[in-house]
Amino acid sequence: MNTLHFKVGLFTAVSLLLAGVFLAYLLHARGFFEGTFNLQLAASSADGVAPGVPVVFSGIEIGNVTTLGLNEEGGIIIHAKLLERNAKWLRENSTFTLDKPIVGGAKIRVNSPDLNAPPLPDNAIMLMLTSDISKEIPGLVERVKAILDNIEHLTRKDGEINTTLANVQTVTGRMAGEYGMLEGMLGSQEKARAVTESLDKTRDLIDKLDSMAAKTDQWLYAQDGTAQQVRLMLNDVQASLQKADALMANAVAISANVKAGTQDIAALRAEIDDAVLKASAMINAINRKWPFARDLEEVKLP
Amino acid sequence: MAAVAALPDDVARVALELPLRANLSALDNIALIPLYQRHFNAAESARQAQLLLEQLGHPDIARLRDPDMTPAQRFVAKLARALILKRPRLVIDRPGAMLYDVPYPAFIRQLASQATMTGTWEIFDFSWNQSLYQA
Amino acid sequence: MNFLAATIESLGAKVTGWFAVGYAMFAFLARATLLLLDRTTWNRATLDVVVKQVYFTSVQILHVFLGYALVISWLIITIILSTARDFGLTEFASEMTIRVLVLELLPFLTALFIALRSGSAINTEIALMQVNNELDALAHCKVPPMQFEFLPRLLGGVISVVTLAGLAGLLALLTGYLAIYGMNTAGVEPYTQTIAKIFDFQIVAGLIAKCALFGLAVTLIPVTAGLETPKKLFMVPVSVLRGMMRVFFAIVAIEVVSLALKYI
Repeated sequence: MNTLHFKVGLFTAVSLLLAGVFLAYLLHARGFFEGTFNLQLAASSADGVAPGVPVVFSGIEIGNVTTLGLNEEGGIIIHAKLLERNAKWLRENSTFTLDKPIVGGAKIRVNSPDLNAPPLPDNAIMLMLTSDISKEIPGLVERVKAILDNIEHLTRKDGEINTTLANVQTVTGRMAGEYGMLEGMLGSQEKARAVTESLDKTRDLIDKLDSMAAKTDQWLYAQDGTAQQVRLMLNDVQASLQKADALMANAVAISANVKAGTQDIAALRAEIDDAVLKASAMINAINRKWPFARDLEEVKLP
Repeated sequence: MAAVAALPDDVARVALELPLRANLSALDNIALIPLYQRHFNAAESARQAQLLLEQLGHPDIARLRDPDMTPAQRFVAKLARALILKRPRLVIDRPGAMLYDVPYPAFIRQLASQATMTGTWEIFDFSWNQSLYQA
Repeated sequence: MNFLAATIESLGAKVTGWFAVGYAMFAFLARATLLLLDRTTWNRATLDVVVKQVYFTSVQILHVFLGYALVISWLIITIILSTARDFGLTEFASEMTIRVLVLELLPFLTALFIALRSGSAINTEIALMQVNNELDALAHCKVPPMQFEFLPRLLGGVISVVTLAGLAGLLALLTGYLAIYGMNTAGVEPYTQTIAKIFDFQIVAGLIAKCALFGLAVTLIPVTAGLETPKKLFMVPVSVLRGMMRVFFAIVAIEVVSLALKYI
């Protein structure tokens, strides 16, 4: 026996056998041995549908579009072809949706909520819906444009961001000071102390007011409801200052990411200013209306 | 030399510059001619080649390839290849260049006597070697 | 002026050289094809040499080649799968794998493999035959070398590349299935769908044609390069070098053209 010939013969036979098996498998996979099932889909627009677009059931391709055409009424009729073995997934209550994802090609998604429903007959005409992410894109683009405009405005030469960035350095420098964050926010030690003091004093004031109300110097307060008014206003001040307090607590977290936080710091600063301003005005008013409270200090504006 | 190279097509030549096919055995080299010229099948061609080698008295070189043969064996293989061409003339071109390990006039004479030959063998050699043939 | 003229002359010499090489190659191919159509070629002897060539070019290296194809396939599949997972494109992974491996990479690597192993050997052998006068000896005996030296090599090359690329492709399909779905039959249906989608008639015919062209390139070019060797022993390495360069360019050109036909 010639081993060389035997080996080549074996090689050839095995290769031919494998080729034959693969060919048969391929023909089977492509549905050469079975019939096809036709499906017609009516749609309002053929936008994005072309011959070859797959029909997908549960993520698996079961067929594809063969031709597109118009019917007598000017509607779109999409002809799709499926292998007979895949027709069982199409039921009378199946829905057909055209999916146009941003990544990947368009596909017609089949949903069959009830697989016990009667099967679709061959050549049935069904309605196709469109879920089109790409149609939302123009709106999205408008919004992104607006945001970009804002950013451009902020980052223009000598714009807020540049100034803020310059400021951040001073602010972070100050944060290392005695009053920490607060000093950083407010600009100097004195101002920081002022806020802290005003917070304390407002609290004291409210306590005092409460105790006074308890002592019932009713006539003084009842005349024009001043005391009631002041009380409300003071509550407001306290709320504002507490808010500033909370914001400052937040600022600690913000400072961890100064770059991202610059805008927040600007907003925070504005709120604190606002709160202190309110407190100051409040105390002025109290001073005017409340002669016995001379010992109150004016809150200094930062 | 030019005269030898210009010999007509019906002359079979044995020459240094017509070597054997290096990766084929002596037998295959000889069998090529009946195989491809006269379209005999492989077995018949091999049989004819083997027969010729036996007639020349060297059946043992059949399996050897060119690099494994002695100069004399190589010469025999070449001669057999020329003989199997069955051309009317056979020219041995400068045998001294191929048969440097044997007293070649005697060797060729011996081969000629063994083979059942039709026709004549012509030997082209340098004139100063003429005396070698006078033995 | 002189320099310019010399440059133009050398350019012209190069272009004519290329044309001569190309012409010799196609003339040789035409002769081989004509001989292939000749009934007398198809005798037992030619077939024997073809069998021998197929043995040396593919059977002898089959285990090495399949091992190498397996490793390459496994690597590429793993890379594609993990990349696809990272980008959330898993549904495209199997198609991508098959397209990259079976249609492009494996035939290309097979051609390179055969070119490096058999192509260079053929080039050297033919060049040595030419330098050693063996071809002249065959001509003197009126035995046409085409039939028993060249044609079987061309056929052996074509058969080998087509078969080896096919076997490697099947192996890659199997490896791909195992890598994607593991040792169970759950994925047969979707995998079959993917295969059915990719391998239409055009693709299969194109793949076979491409492999056949690869096989032809890795044998025809070395044969012609060997035949044009001047009769000097030191020219043999030069001949092999030139032949291998041409083989490389031809393989790349075939691949580029096939890609262009498929995707443009």
